[in-house]
Amino acid sequence: MNTGIMDIGPVQLGIALMFVVIAGAASIYHSLKLERDLLVGTIRTFAQLYIMGYVLKLIFRLNTASLVIMIFAFMIIFAAWTIHGRIKEKQISFFTPVLISMLISYFLVAFLVTRVVIGVDPWWTPRYFLPLGGMVIGNSMNAIAIALERLLNELRSGRKEVEMKLSLGADYKEASRSMFGNAIRAGMIPSINSMMAVGMVFIPGMMTGQIVAGADPMLAIKYQIVVMIMLVGSTTIGTLIAVLITRKLCFSKNHQLLLTRQNKH
Amino acid sequence: MIVLNRITFSYPGATKALFKDLSFSFKEGRFYLITGPSGAGKSSLLRLITHLESPDSGEILFQGKPVLSYDLPGIRNRILYIQQTPTSISGSVRENLLFPYAYKANKKKQVPDDQILLGAMNGFMLKDINLDDHVETLSVGQLQRICIIRGLLLDPQVLLLDEPTSALDPESRRIVEDSAENFIKGEKNTVIMISHQSVTPRRVTPVVLEVRDGRIKEVSS
Repeated sequence: MNTGIMDIGPVQLGIALMFVVIAGAASIYHSLKLERDLLVGTIRTFAQLYIMGYVLKLIFRLNTASLVIMIFAFMIIFAAWTIHGRIKEKQISFFTPVLISMLISYFLVAFLVTRVVIGVDPWWTPRYFLPLGGMVIGNSMNAIAIALERLLNELRSGRKEVEMKLSLGADYKEASRSMFGNAIRAGMIPSINSMMAVGMVFIPGMMTGQIVAGADPMLAIKYQIVVMIMLVGSTTIGTLIAVLITRKLCFSKNHQLLLTRQNKH
Repeated sequence: MIVLNRITFSYPGATKALFKDLSFSFKEGRFYLITGPSGAGKSSLLRLITHLESPDSGEILFQGKPVLSYDLPGIRNRILYIQQTPTSISGSVRENLLFPYAYKANKKKQVPDDQILLGAMNGFMLKDINLDDHVETLSVGQLQRICIIRGLLLDPQVLLLDEPTSALDPESRRIVEDSAENFIKGEKNTVIMISHQSVTPRRVTPVVLEVRDGRIKEVSS
Protein backbone atom coordinates (compact mmCIF):
# COMPACT_ATOMS: atom_id res chain seq x y z
CA MET A 1 0.00 0.00 0.00
CA ASN A 2 1.58 3.26 1.12
CA THR A 3 5.26 3.69 1.60
CA GLY A 4 6.79 3.43 5.02
CA ILE A 5 4.89 0.34 6.14
CA MET A 6 7.18 -2.22 7.72
CA ASP A 7 7.08 -5.85 6.70
CA ILE A 8 6.61 -8.64 9.24
CA GLY A 9 8.97 -11.56 8.64
CA PRO A 10 8.54 -15.21 9.61
CA VAL A 11 10.66 -14.76 12.74
CA GLN A 12 8.49 -11.87 13.96
CA LEU A 13 5.34 -13.92 13.29
CA GLY A 14 6.89 -16.72 15.33
CA ILE A 15 7.59 -14.34 18.22
CA ALA A 16 3.93 -13.19 18.11
CA LEU A 17 2.94 -16.82 18.59
CA MET A 18 4.44 -16.66 22.09
CA PHE A 19 1.21 -14.99 23.24
CA VAL A 20 -0.80 -18.01 22.17
CA VAL A 21 1.66 -20.27 23.99
CA ILE A 22 1.10 -18.22 27.16
CA ALA A 23 -2.68 -18.54 26.74
CA GLY A 24 -2.31 -22.32 26.18
CA ALA A 25 -0.14 -22.69 29.28
CA ALA A 26 -2.71 -20.77 31.35
CA SER A 27 -5.43 -23.03 29.99
CA ILE A 28 -3.55 -26.18 30.97
CA TYR A 29 -2.60 -24.79 34.40
CA HIS A 30 -6.18 -23.82 35.23
CA SER A 31 -7.77 -26.87 33.48
CA LEU A 32 -9.80 -24.61 31.20
CA LYS A 33 -9.64 -27.18 28.36
CA LEU A 34 -9.15 -24.40 25.83
CA GLU A 35 -5.76 -25.53 24.55
CA ARG A 36 -7.14 -27.61 21.67
CA ASP A 37 -9.40 -24.78 20.49
CA LEU A 38 -6.51 -22.32 20.84
CA LEU A 39 -4.29 -24.53 18.71
CA VAL A 40 -6.93 -25.11 16.05
CA GLY A 41 -7.85 -21.41 16.12
CA THR A 42 -4.24 -20.35 15.63
CA ILE A 43 -3.67 -22.76 12.76
CA ARG A 44 -6.89 -21.62 11.12
CA THR A 45 -5.99 -17.95 11.59
CA PHE A 46 -2.71 -18.51 9.77
CA ALA A 47 -4.16 -20.71 7.03
CA GLN A 48 -7.30 -18.70 6.38
CA LEU A 49 -5.56 -15.30 6.35
CA TYR A 50 -2.73 -16.49 4.12
CA ILE A 51 -5.25 -17.95 1.69
CA MET A 52 -7.26 -14.74 1.87
CA GLY A 53 -4.13 -12.65 1.20
CA TYR A 54 -3.35 -14.60 -1.97
CA VAL A 55 -6.99 -14.64 -3.07
CA LEU A 56 -7.33 -10.89 -2.57
CA LYS A 57 -4.16 -10.25 -4.55
CA LEU A 58 -5.56 -12.33 -7.38
CA ILE A 59 -8.99 -10.70 -7.26
CA PHE A 60 -7.54 -7.19 -7.25
CA ARG A 61 -5.59 -8.12 -10.36
CA LEU A 62 -8.52 -9.79 -12.19
CA ASN A 63 -11.03 -7.09 -11.10
CA THR A 64 -14.29 -8.71 -12.31
CA ALA A 65 -17.77 -8.25 -10.77
CA SER A 66 -18.82 -11.90 -10.90
CA LEU A 67 -15.69 -13.02 -9.07
CA VAL A 68 -16.11 -10.36 -6.35
CA ILE A 69 -19.76 -11.34 -5.81
CA MET A 70 -18.86 -15.02 -5.74
CA ILE A 71 -16.16 -14.47 -3.14
CA PHE A 72 -18.52 -12.36 -1.04
CA ALA A 73 -21.19 -15.06 -1.23
CA PHE A 74 -18.61 -17.67 -0.24
CA MET A 75 -17.62 -15.56 2.79
CA ILE A 76 -21.28 -15.39 3.84
CA ILE A 77 -21.79 -19.14 3.41
CA PHE A 78 -18.71 -19.75 5.53
CA ALA A 79 -20.01 -17.36 8.21
CA ALA A 80 -23.40 -19.10 8.27
CA TRP A 81 -21.60 -22.43 8.58
CA THR A 82 -19.48 -21.10 11.44
CA ILE A 83 -22.62 -19.96 13.29
CA HIS A 84 -24.19 -23.35 12.66
CA GLY A 85 -21.13 -25.13 14.08
CA ARG A 86 -20.86 -22.85 17.10
CA ILE A 87 -24.44 -23.29 18.26
CA LYS A 88 -24.54 -27.10 18.07
CA GLU A 89 -28.32 -27.15 17.78
CA LYS A 90 -29.65 -30.61 16.99
CA GLN A 91 -33.39 -30.06 16.85
CA ILE A 92 -33.85 -26.93 14.79
CA SER A 93 -32.35 -26.70 11.32
CA PHE A 94 -31.75 -22.99 10.86
CA PHE A 95 -28.78 -23.02 8.48
CA THR A 96 -30.55 -22.36 5.14
CA PRO A 97 -32.98 -19.63 6.26
CA VAL A 98 -30.25 -17.83 8.21
CA LEU A 99 -27.92 -18.07 5.22
CA ILE A 100 -30.53 -16.56 2.90
CA SER A 101 -31.23 -13.70 5.30
CA MET A 102 -27.49 -13.05 5.63
CA LEU A 103 -26.98 -13.07 1.86
CA ILE A 104 -29.76 -10.53 1.30
CA SER A 105 -29.01 -8.17 4.20
CA TYR A 106 -25.21 -8.15 3.79
CA PHE A 107 -25.30 -7.57 0.05
CA LEU A 108 -27.69 -4.71 0.65
CA VAL A 109 -25.60 -3.07 3.39
CA ALA A 110 -22.27 -3.59 1.58
CA PHE A 111 -23.74 -2.18 -1.64
CA LEU A 112 -25.21 0.89 0.11
CA VAL A 113 -21.95 1.66 1.87
CA THR A 114 -19.64 1.27 -1.15
CA ARG A 115 -21.93 2.82 -3.74
CA VAL A 116 -23.98 5.43 -1.88
CA VAL A 117 -21.88 6.41 1.15
CA ILE A 118 -18.31 6.13 -0.16
CA GLY A 119 -19.34 6.55 -3.80
CA VAL A 120 -17.10 3.88 -5.28
CA ASP A 121 -17.65 3.28 -8.98
CA PRO A 122 -18.22 0.51 -9.86
CA TRP A 123 -19.74 -0.45 -6.47
CA TRP A 124 -18.11 -3.87 -6.49
CA THR A 125 -14.54 -2.53 -6.74
CA PRO A 126 -12.81 -5.35 -4.79
CA ARG A 127 -10.44 -3.09 -2.82
CA TYR A 128 -13.47 -1.50 -1.11
CA PHE A 129 -16.28 -4.02 -1.41
CA LEU A 130 -14.52 -7.08 -0.03
CA PRO A 131 -12.82 -5.64 3.08
CA LEU A 132 -15.90 -3.60 4.05
CA GLY A 133 -18.24 -6.48 3.28
CA GLY A 134 -15.96 -8.78 5.24
CA MET A 135 -16.25 -6.53 8.29
CA VAL A 136 -20.04 -6.59 7.96
CA ILE A 137 -20.02 -10.38 7.87
CA GLY A 138 -17.53 -10.83 10.69
CA ASN A 139 -19.32 -8.53 13.12
CA SER A 140 -22.83 -9.74 12.31
CA MET A 141 -21.70 -13.33 12.47
CA ASN A 142 -20.75 -12.90 16.12
CA ALA A 143 -23.94 -11.01 16.89
CA ILE A 144 -26.12 -13.62 15.18
CA ALA A 145 -24.35 -16.49 16.92
CA ILE A 146 -24.74 -14.82 20.34
CA ALA A 147 -28.38 -13.96 19.70
CA LEU A 148 -29.36 -17.40 18.40
CA GLU A 149 -27.58 -19.17 21.21
CA ARG A 150 -29.38 -16.96 23.73
CA LEU A 151 -32.74 -17.49 22.05
CA LEU A 152 -32.44 -21.27 21.98
CA ASN A 153 -31.12 -21.44 25.55
CA GLU A 154 -33.87 -19.19 26.88
CA LEU A 155 -36.61 -21.04 25.05
CA ARG A 156 -35.29 -24.29 26.46
CA SER A 157 -34.87 -23.09 30.03
CA GLY A 158 -38.08 -21.05 29.85
CA ARG A 159 -40.11 -23.86 28.35
CA LYS A 160 -42.56 -23.88 31.25
CA GLU A 161 -43.14 -20.15 30.99
CA VAL A 162 -43.66 -20.33 27.21
CA GLU A 163 -46.14 -23.19 27.54
CA MET A 164 -47.93 -21.43 30.39
CA LYS A 165 -48.44 -18.43 28.11
CA LEU A 166 -49.52 -20.62 25.18
CA SER A 167 -52.03 -22.27 27.51
CA LEU A 168 -53.48 -18.87 28.37
CA GLY A 169 -54.13 -17.99 24.72
CA ALA A 170 -50.80 -16.53 23.58
CA ASP A 171 -49.65 -17.16 20.03
CA TYR A 172 -46.04 -18.22 19.59
CA LYS A 173 -44.83 -14.63 19.19
CA GLU A 174 -46.59 -13.45 22.33
CA ALA A 175 -45.39 -16.48 24.29
CA SER A 176 -41.74 -15.91 23.37
CA ARG A 177 -41.65 -12.10 23.37
CA SER A 178 -39.33 -11.73 26.34
CA MET A 179 -36.90 -14.39 25.02
CA PHE A 180 -36.92 -12.73 21.62
CA GLY A 181 -36.08 -9.33 23.12
CA ASN A 182 -33.32 -10.76 25.31
CA ALA A 183 -31.77 -12.54 22.32
CA ILE A 184 -31.72 -9.42 20.15
CA ARG A 185 -30.28 -7.34 22.98
CA ALA A 186 -27.58 -9.92 23.70
CA GLY A 187 -26.56 -9.90 20.04
CA MET A 188 -26.61 -6.12 19.72
CA ILE A 189 -24.89 -5.11 22.94
CA PRO A 190 -21.29 -5.73 21.75
CA SER A 191 -21.85 -3.48 18.69
CA ILE A 192 -23.46 -0.76 20.77
CA ASN A 193 -20.71 -1.00 23.40
CA SER A 194 -18.13 -0.59 20.63
CA MET A 195 -19.86 2.60 19.53
CA MET A 196 -19.69 3.89 23.08
CA ALA A 197 -16.03 3.05 23.60
CA VAL A 198 -14.61 3.74 20.14
CA GLY A 199 -11.84 6.31 20.13
CA MET A 200 -11.92 6.55 23.94
CA VAL A 201 -10.98 3.03 24.97
CA PHE A 202 -9.64 1.59 21.75
CA ILE A 203 -8.63 2.50 18.23
CA PRO A 204 -10.61 0.22 15.95
CA GLY A 205 -8.87 -2.37 13.81
CA MET A 206 -9.64 -0.80 10.48
CA MET A 207 -8.49 2.64 11.55
CA THR A 208 -5.36 1.17 13.11
CA GLY A 209 -4.64 -0.58 9.83
CA GLN A 210 -5.09 2.58 7.81
CA ILE A 211 -2.95 4.68 10.15
CA VAL A 212 -0.19 2.04 10.30
CA ALA A 213 -0.34 1.92 6.51
CA GLY A 214 0.29 5.67 6.43
CA ALA A 215 -3.19 7.16 5.89
CA ASP A 216 -4.19 10.57 7.26
CA PRO A 217 -5.91 10.02 10.65
CA MET A 218 -8.72 12.41 9.64
CA LEU A 219 -9.50 10.28 6.61
CA ALA A 220 -9.19 7.15 8.73
CA ILE A 221 -11.77 8.41 11.26
CA LYS A 222 -14.29 9.18 8.51
CA TYR A 223 -13.98 5.66 7.20
CA GLN A 224 -14.26 4.37 10.73
CA ILE A 225 -17.46 6.33 11.39
CA VAL A 226 -19.00 4.90 8.25
CA VAL A 227 -17.83 1.43 9.26
CA MET A 228 -19.24 1.70 12.78
CA ILE A 229 -22.63 2.82 11.53
CA MET A 230 -22.58 0.20 8.81
CA LEU A 231 -21.77 -2.48 11.38
CA VAL A 232 -24.58 -1.46 13.70
CA GLY A 233 -26.98 -1.42 10.74
CA SER A 234 -25.95 -4.79 9.36
CA THR A 235 -25.80 -6.36 12.82
CA THR A 236 -29.31 -5.14 13.58
CA ILE A 237 -30.77 -6.35 10.29
CA GLY A 238 -28.87 -9.65 10.30
CA THR A 239 -29.64 -10.45 13.95
CA LEU A 240 -33.27 -9.45 13.68
CA ILE A 241 -33.95 -11.58 10.61
CA ALA A 242 -31.98 -14.57 11.92
CA VAL A 243 -33.73 -14.51 15.30
CA LEU A 244 -37.17 -14.01 13.74
CA ILE A 245 -36.67 -16.97 11.43
CA THR A 246 -35.18 -19.23 14.09
CA ARG A 247 -37.92 -18.39 16.58
CA LYS A 248 -40.51 -19.36 13.99
CA LEU A 249 -38.70 -22.65 13.42
CA CYS A 250 -38.83 -23.40 17.15
CA PHE A 251 -42.63 -23.55 17.03
CA SER A 252 -45.00 -25.66 14.98
CA LYS A 253 -47.79 -24.11 12.95
CA ASN A 254 -50.07 -25.11 15.83
CA HIS A 255 -48.13 -22.85 18.21
CA GLN A 256 -46.36 -25.69 20.01
CA LEU A 257 -42.84 -25.29 21.30
CA LEU A 258 -40.80 -27.89 19.44
CA LEU A 259 -37.60 -27.59 21.49
CA THR A 260 -37.34 -30.22 24.16
CA ARG A 261 -35.54 -29.57 27.43
CA GLN A 262 -32.45 -31.37 26.22
CA ASN A 263 -30.84 -30.58 22.92
CA LYS A 264 -31.30 -34.08 21.45
CA HIS A 265 -33.63 -36.40 19.49
CA MET B 1 -67.52 -32.32 24.95
CA ILE B 2 -64.00 -33.57 24.33
CA VAL B 3 -63.52 -36.70 22.27
CA LEU B 4 -60.26 -38.53 21.75
CA ASN B 5 -60.61 -40.33 18.49
CA ARG B 6 -58.12 -43.18 17.94
CA ILE B 7 -55.13 -41.31 19.31
CA THR B 8 -51.66 -42.72 18.87
CA PHE B 9 -48.85 -40.80 20.47
CA SER B 10 -45.21 -41.38 21.28
CA TYR B 11 -42.46 -38.99 22.33
CA PRO B 12 -39.64 -38.54 19.80
CA GLY B 13 -36.99 -41.18 20.29
CA ALA B 14 -39.23 -43.39 22.45
CA THR B 15 -39.30 -47.05 21.44
CA LYS B 16 -42.87 -47.65 22.54
CA ALA B 17 -46.01 -45.60 21.88
CA LEU B 18 -47.50 -44.00 24.98
CA PHE B 19 -51.02 -44.27 23.55
CA LYS B 20 -52.08 -46.55 20.73
CA ASP B 21 -55.47 -46.16 19.09
CA LEU B 22 -56.88 -44.55 22.23
CA SER B 23 -60.49 -43.39 22.16
CA PHE B 24 -62.41 -41.76 24.98
CA SER B 25 -65.22 -39.28 25.43
CA PHE B 26 -65.26 -36.61 28.16
CA LYS B 27 -68.78 -35.34 28.79
CA GLU B 28 -70.08 -31.90 29.71
CA GLY B 29 -70.66 -30.98 33.34
CA ARG B 30 -68.45 -33.75 34.75
CA PHE B 31 -65.53 -33.76 37.10
CA TYR B 32 -62.95 -36.25 35.86
CA LEU B 33 -60.22 -37.38 38.15
CA ILE B 34 -57.26 -38.98 36.41
CA THR B 35 -55.12 -41.42 38.34
CA GLY B 36 -52.44 -43.87 37.29
CA PRO B 37 -48.77 -44.69 37.81
CA SER B 38 -45.98 -42.19 37.07
CA GLY B 39 -45.02 -42.14 33.42
CA ALA B 40 -48.34 -43.64 32.32
CA GLY B 41 -49.08 -40.51 30.29
CA LYS B 42 -51.48 -38.54 32.49
CA SER B 43 -49.84 -35.19 31.79
CA SER B 44 -49.31 -36.09 28.14
CA LEU B 45 -53.04 -36.73 27.87
CA LEU B 46 -53.83 -33.18 29.02
CA ARG B 47 -51.11 -31.74 26.80
CA LEU B 48 -52.58 -33.60 23.83
CA ILE B 49 -56.07 -32.26 24.54
CA THR B 50 -54.80 -28.68 24.51
CA HIS B 51 -52.45 -29.43 21.60
CA LEU B 52 -49.23 -28.56 23.35
CA GLU B 53 -48.32 -31.96 21.86
CA SER B 54 -49.71 -33.37 18.63
CA PRO B 55 -50.85 -36.96 18.27
CA ASP B 56 -49.01 -39.09 15.68
CA SER B 57 -52.41 -40.13 14.38
CA GLY B 58 -56.03 -39.71 15.33
CA GLU B 59 -57.76 -36.50 16.31
CA ILE B 60 -59.18 -34.64 19.28
CA LEU B 61 -62.63 -33.12 18.97
CA PHE B 62 -64.07 -30.24 20.95
CA GLN B 63 -67.84 -29.79 20.69
CA GLY B 64 -67.93 -32.06 17.65
CA LYS B 65 -65.18 -30.30 15.70
CA PRO B 66 -61.46 -31.10 15.56
CA VAL B 67 -59.53 -28.87 17.97
CA LEU B 68 -57.19 -28.03 15.08
CA SER B 69 -60.07 -26.56 13.10
CA TYR B 70 -60.35 -23.76 15.68
CA ASP B 71 -57.92 -20.87 15.92
CA LEU B 72 -55.37 -22.52 18.16
CA PRO B 73 -54.31 -19.73 20.52
CA GLY B 74 -58.03 -18.88 20.76
CA ILE B 75 -59.15 -22.38 21.69
CA ARG B 76 -56.51 -22.75 24.40
CA ASN B 77 -58.29 -20.17 26.55
CA ARG B 78 -61.48 -22.26 26.28
CA ILE B 79 -59.74 -25.57 26.99
CA LEU B 80 -57.40 -24.20 29.60
CA TYR B 81 -54.46 -26.21 30.84
CA ILE B 82 -52.82 -25.36 34.16
CA GLN B 83 -49.38 -26.85 34.70
CA GLN B 84 -48.32 -28.85 37.71
CA THR B 85 -45.58 -26.38 38.64
CA PRO B 86 -47.06 -22.94 39.22
CA THR B 87 -45.40 -20.68 36.68
CA SER B 88 -45.39 -16.91 36.93
CA ILE B 89 -43.88 -13.94 35.20
CA SER B 90 -41.62 -11.59 37.14
CA GLY B 91 -43.86 -8.88 38.56
CA SER B 92 -46.72 -8.13 40.91
CA VAL B 93 -49.73 -10.32 41.63
CA ARG B 94 -51.86 -7.93 39.56
CA GLU B 95 -49.48 -8.17 36.58
CA ASN B 96 -49.57 -11.95 36.86
CA LEU B 97 -53.34 -12.02 36.81
CA LEU B 98 -53.74 -9.54 33.96
CA PHE B 99 -50.95 -10.24 31.44
CA PRO B 100 -53.03 -12.73 29.37
CA TYR B 101 -55.43 -9.90 28.43
CA ALA B 102 -52.71 -8.39 26.24
CA TYR B 103 -52.87 -11.44 23.96
CA LYS B 104 -54.80 -11.16 20.70
CA ALA B 105 -56.91 -14.19 21.57
CA ASN B 106 -58.10 -12.49 24.78
CA LYS B 107 -58.50 -8.96 23.39
CA LYS B 108 -62.31 -9.15 23.41
CA LYS B 109 -62.43 -10.17 27.04
CA GLN B 110 -63.16 -7.52 29.64
CA VAL B 111 -60.09 -6.82 31.76
CA PRO B 112 -61.13 -7.48 35.37
CA ASP B 113 -60.77 -4.53 37.73
CA ASP B 114 -59.11 -4.68 41.15
CA GLN B 115 -62.43 -5.40 42.87
CA ILE B 116 -62.98 -8.53 40.77
CA LEU B 117 -59.39 -9.64 41.31
CA LEU B 118 -59.63 -9.16 45.07
CA GLY B 119 -63.00 -10.95 45.13
CA ALA B 120 -61.51 -13.93 43.30
CA MET B 121 -58.53 -13.96 45.64
CA ASN B 122 -60.80 -13.86 48.69
CA GLY B 123 -62.59 -16.92 47.31
CA PHE B 124 -59.25 -18.69 47.31
CA MET B 125 -58.40 -17.60 50.86
CA LEU B 126 -55.77 -15.13 49.69
CA LYS B 127 -57.15 -12.21 51.70
CA ASP B 128 -53.74 -11.32 53.13
CA ILE B 129 -52.16 -10.84 49.75
CA ASN B 130 -51.98 -7.44 48.14
CA LEU B 131 -52.30 -7.01 44.37
CA ASP B 132 -49.06 -5.02 44.42
CA ASP B 133 -47.10 -7.77 46.18
CA HIS B 134 -44.33 -9.30 44.11
CA VAL B 135 -45.08 -12.93 43.25
CA GLU B 136 -41.68 -13.94 44.59
CA THR B 137 -42.96 -13.24 48.09
CA LEU B 138 -45.72 -15.89 47.72
CA SER B 139 -45.52 -19.49 48.86
CA VAL B 140 -45.89 -22.30 46.29
CA GLY B 141 -49.43 -22.95 47.46
CA GLN B 142 -50.40 -19.29 47.18
CA LEU B 143 -48.82 -19.03 43.73
CA GLN B 144 -50.63 -22.16 42.57
CA ARG B 145 -53.91 -20.57 43.62
CA ILE B 146 -53.00 -17.34 41.75
CA CYS B 147 -52.32 -19.45 38.63
CA ILE B 148 -55.73 -21.12 38.96
CA ILE B 149 -57.46 -17.75 39.48
CA ARG B 150 -55.65 -16.43 36.39
CA GLY B 151 -57.03 -19.33 34.38
CA LEU B 152 -60.56 -19.10 35.80
CA LEU B 153 -60.78 -15.37 35.10
CA LEU B 154 -60.43 -16.16 31.40
CA ASP B 155 -63.72 -18.05 31.69
CA PRO B 156 -62.76 -21.36 30.05
CA GLN B 157 -65.21 -24.17 29.31
CA VAL B 158 -62.83 -26.98 30.11
CA LEU B 159 -60.28 -26.82 32.88
CA LEU B 160 -57.33 -29.20 32.64
CA LEU B 161 -55.53 -29.35 35.98
CA ASP B 162 -52.22 -31.17 36.15
CA GLU B 163 -51.81 -32.28 39.77
CA PRO B 164 -52.74 -28.85 41.12
CA THR B 165 -52.67 -30.01 44.72
CA SER B 166 -49.43 -31.99 44.82
CA ALA B 167 -47.41 -29.19 46.44
CA LEU B 168 -50.20 -27.87 48.63
CA ASP B 169 -51.00 -28.14 52.31
CA PRO B 170 -54.39 -29.71 53.22
CA GLU B 171 -56.09 -26.31 53.57
CA SER B 172 -54.94 -25.04 50.14
CA ARG B 173 -55.78 -28.42 48.68
CA ARG B 174 -59.35 -28.22 49.89
CA ILE B 175 -59.73 -24.71 48.44
CA VAL B 176 -58.44 -25.77 45.03
CA GLU B 177 -60.70 -28.84 44.99
CA ASP B 178 -63.68 -26.71 46.01
CA SER B 179 -62.95 -24.27 43.19
CA ALA B 180 -62.75 -27.09 40.65
CA GLU B 181 -66.06 -28.35 41.95
CA ASN B 182 -67.64 -24.89 41.79
CA PHE B 183 -66.39 -24.48 38.25
CA ILE B 184 -68.73 -27.21 36.95
CA LYS B 185 -71.76 -26.00 38.87
CA GLY B 186 -73.23 -24.54 35.67
CA GLU B 187 -73.11 -28.01 34.04
CA LYS B 188 -71.65 -26.47 30.90
CA ASN B 189 -68.10 -26.84 32.07
CA THR B 190 -65.83 -29.81 32.53
CA VAL B 191 -62.86 -30.40 34.79
CA ILE B 192 -60.22 -32.98 34.04
CA MET B 193 -57.84 -33.15 36.95
CA ILE B 194 -54.83 -35.32 37.56
CA SER B 195 -54.37 -36.28 41.17
CA HIS B 196 -52.36 -38.88 43.03
CA GLN B 197 -54.44 -38.29 46.11
CA SER B 198 -58.12 -39.10 46.36
CA VAL B 199 -60.49 -36.17 46.21
CA THR B 200 -63.72 -36.04 48.14
CA PRO B 201 -65.82 -33.25 46.72
CA ARG B 202 -69.06 -32.70 48.53
CA ARG B 203 -71.46 -31.85 45.73
CA VAL B 204 -70.02 -33.45 42.62
CA THR B 205 -68.96 -37.06 42.48
CA PRO B 206 -65.89 -37.34 40.29
CA VAL B 207 -65.58 -39.84 37.48
CA VAL B 208 -62.35 -41.60 38.41
CA LEU B 209 -60.26 -42.70 35.45
CA GLU B 210 -57.09 -44.70 35.48
CA VAL B 211 -54.47 -44.21 32.79
CA ARG B 212 -52.38 -47.34 32.48
CA ASP B 213 -50.62 -49.17 29.65
CA GLY B 214 -51.84 -46.65 27.08
CA ARG B 215 -55.51 -47.09 28.00
CA ILE B 216 -58.07 -45.07 29.93
CA LYS B 217 -60.18 -47.15 32.27
CA GLU B 218 -63.17 -45.89 34.19
CA VAL B 219 -62.66 -46.95 37.79
CA SER B 220 -65.76 -45.44 39.33
CA SER B 221 -68.41 -42.80 38.76
